[in-house]
Amino acid sequence: MSAPAAGSGGAPGRAAAGPPTWAPGETWRIVLSMTLICAAGAAILGGVYLGTERYAEASRQRNERAAVTELLSLGSDATVKEIRQFLSPARDAVIYRTGEAGADAGGNGTAEGAARAPREFVFALDGTLLRSGEIASANAGEKGLHPLGRIFVASRDGAPAGFVVEGEARGYKNRIRFFVALDREWRIAGVRVVEHEEDPGLGAEVATDWFQGQYVGRDLDGAANLDVTKDPMPEDWRDALRRRGTADDPAWTERYGPLRSRESDRPIYAVTGATISSRALTDGVRATILHFRRRWELLEPYLRAAGEGA
Amino acid sequence: MSQTILLPERPPGAVALLLNGIFGENPVFRLALSLCPAVAVTTTVANGIMLGVAVLLVQVLSSVTVALVRRGIHPRVRIPAYTIIIAVWVSAIDMTLAGYFPVLYAQVGLYVKLIVAFAIIISRLEVFASRMPLIPTFWDGLGMGLGFLFALVVIGAFRELLGSGAILGHVVTPEKPLLFFALPAGGFFTIGILMAFFNALERWKRGGKAPTAAGGGAHG
Amino acid sequence: MDSIRPGRFASRHVTSAALGLAFLLLFAATAAADGGDAVIRGARVRAPHHLRLELTRPASSLDPANFRLTDARAPDVPIEIRSVVAEEGNAVLLEVNDRLDPSAAYRIEMLDPAAARDVRPAPWALLLTVVLSSALINNFVFTRYLGLCVFFGVSRKRDTAISMGITFAVVMILSAMLSWGLFTFVMAPLKLKFLQIIVFIGVVAFLVQALDTILKKTHKSLHQRWGVYLMLITTNCIILAVPLLNAAAESGPAESFALALGSGVGFAIALFLMSCAREKLELARVPAAFQGLPIAFTLAGLFALAFMGFSGLTFLR
Repeated sequence: MSAPAAGSGGAPGRAAAGPPTWAPGETWRIVLSMTLICAAGAAILGGVYLGTERYAEASRQRNERAAVTELLSLGSDATVKEIRQFLSPARDAVIYRTGEAGADAGGNGTAEGAARAPREFVFALDGTLLRSGEIASANAGEKGLHPLGRIFVASRDGAPAGFVVEGEARGYKNRIRFFVALDREWRIAGVRVVEHEEDPGLGAEVATDWFQGQYVGRDLDGAANLDVTKDPMPEDWRDALRRRGTADDPAWTERYGPLRSRESDRPIYAVTGATISSRALTDGVRATILHFRRRWELLEPYLRAAGEGA
Repeated sequence: MSQTILLPERPPGAVALLLNGIFGENPVFRLALSLCPAVAVTTTVANGIMLGVAVLLVQVLSSVTVALVRRGIHPRVRIPAYTIIIAVWVSAIDMTLAGYFPVLYAQVGLYVKLIVAFAIIISRLEVFASRMPLIPTFWDGLGMGLGFLFALVVIGAFRELLGSGAILGHVVTPEKPLLFFALPAGGFFTIGILMAFFNALERWKRGGKAPTAAGGGAHG
Repeated sequence: MDSIRPGRFASRHVTSAALGLAFLLLFAATAAADGGDAVIRGARVRAPHHLRLELTRPASSLDPANFRLTDARAPDVPIEIRSVVAEEGNAVLLEVNDRLDPSAAYRIEMLDPAAARDVRPAPWALLLTVVLSSALINNFVFTRYLGLCVFFGVSRKRDTAISMGITFAVVMILSAMLSWGLFTFVMAPLKLKFLQIIVFIGVVAFLVQALDTILKKTHKSLHQRWGVYLMLITTNCIILAVPLLNAAAESGPAESFALALGSGVGFAIALFLMSCAREKLELARVPAAFQGLPIAFTLAGLFALAFMGFSGLTFLR
């Protein structure tokens, strides 16, 4: 902006400005035209905001559903229930809410059990149930609640098919938001970074299939002790991960299964030059799984009793 | 403020305006305008394209808006009025990109918002759109926007290829040849090298005489 | 009326800087004074897996079950404590399974004697880390490429660079705080966040105009010296970036101030360093194609490379 302010001395309006002599009507004309410009601008922006906001919300939900079914290798016939976790405003209770957040944004085909009223379960920090019951709307009184991430519970043909848990970590630049998928046996079925601002070529590598592939197949014990090493990744394992797509397909598992089981006891190999990002994601995944394990142990019996269990 | 922007008496044709924006007065390489984003987001081609398209849209839309409403704008408040027009279009495009391309937007979001402070856009409004008829203004805006897009794609390709060994996310070389170019410091070197290259090209075309445009002050 | 001599000028600035620092320390001290507990006198993360507690009387049991440690982000999930070791004095050292982050907040509770305390880094350490990070590690010029326009434009002479750097830092802090107030108290409650670009531009333009007018009336010599730079600031990307970043992170007042201060100082440092180097560059023989901006960019790249050495610097360990 410095250029036009200082560099356009030859502009006719500027050159003629000289000492300010204001004609009385002129001021009003200026005020009027600026007001008109501002009003028109605000109107355009308001319209664009309303339009894009709705679209962004709908597409976010669609993408999340797709990510959940893909991470758990489920088809489109799977049912996905969303449970949202909050900390109460006073940070003295944990609130779980079932039911759709934006119920109007559905319509993507998956059977959602749309008729069910949203329910709420409130636990004290030590794990005792404080209250439970139906609530008017899944978004009721959300102001002041601190979000703790969401849980997606997948089921197919009435049988449980796994979970996807949302987690967050503080990366090198900014927060990293990710999904951790656990299969029915509580093994990691996949990790996917859904939002990050890490440096391309460095920290951004944690969002690649090969890096995220390292987490797959670890059981609950392994996940609870996840660590990161700066050691170089063995060549054969690097090669195997590069050949893997977004998931372990049968052909890949047949060929590289032994490698997978060899590596599943070892720490995650950090991205060269991006140990901070690698560690941030790994610590985040571990914490997310540990938190989820404890919370699900508490919540699951009540969910089942309320007919919400998977 | 050393660059001389030639102002023809008669609006030139569409092709001439387009070529002028892309090569003759390329905002980044020749005019050295709006450099911040050119270095910041161009670690990959995709980022460069995203920001380039945003700038293109903002430039065309605000040029056309100014050409349409310039009679209603009082000369005394010209600059504030232009700033508001640009800010409106930047906000609109910012929200649209955030809504439709959330993943790419996460990386370039701040710089899309900062388009509002780009010298290139307001200087085109001041130099061209405020005096020329609608149609040439459109072509000039398009040319400048394309020139910017072109520069960002070139820088992005250079850095992505050398830094991550890929183009548009497709891996070209298994290893990263010169990771350095993906780092912030690499961006400065990239621009320095490319600018010197364009300078040399210009000198060669003129038979060894020094170029006039780049090399003065940088703005934006 | 003679113009202000540089010496007096500098001393005045040192005084005001010292005053500002004193204010900051006072603020930090009052913020740190709260949360004192009778039994647990201090709690600090000493190593990734170790938390050290200083007690006023000895713990009655060193059984891990006597302690409950939670992350403030997940207060319902206790962090598994592997062992508790008594240290000299009444201190105990907890060894935990999970990695503890020295910059995060935790809560430690003890059953016998009953006590609880928040474990968090001192506020001054957090704020200074923000300042340090935005001034050196994530320097706006060298890692975020903001303000390159002014950076290359006015870094040819050292005097101009210093004046510009100071002017920028001052306007940056003022505009960041004003924008923060508007954003938090007006735009967020009214759901007008989508107008942030226009509003922040307006804030900066208004501030620059107001400062210009005030300076012209009250400190004529100051205005003569710095008025030019003031006008260059209007809607500059680096000034605009601070409020935008604060809005995106929904920072509080202290964080906003720290970010603005850090980026202002960082910009001034970058400008000063660059101007020193460019004065020397005048004497160097530069290849024809590299003359002017290309060599300046290359120089900036070298600075950026050097600034990478600051990464990892923190007050939190």
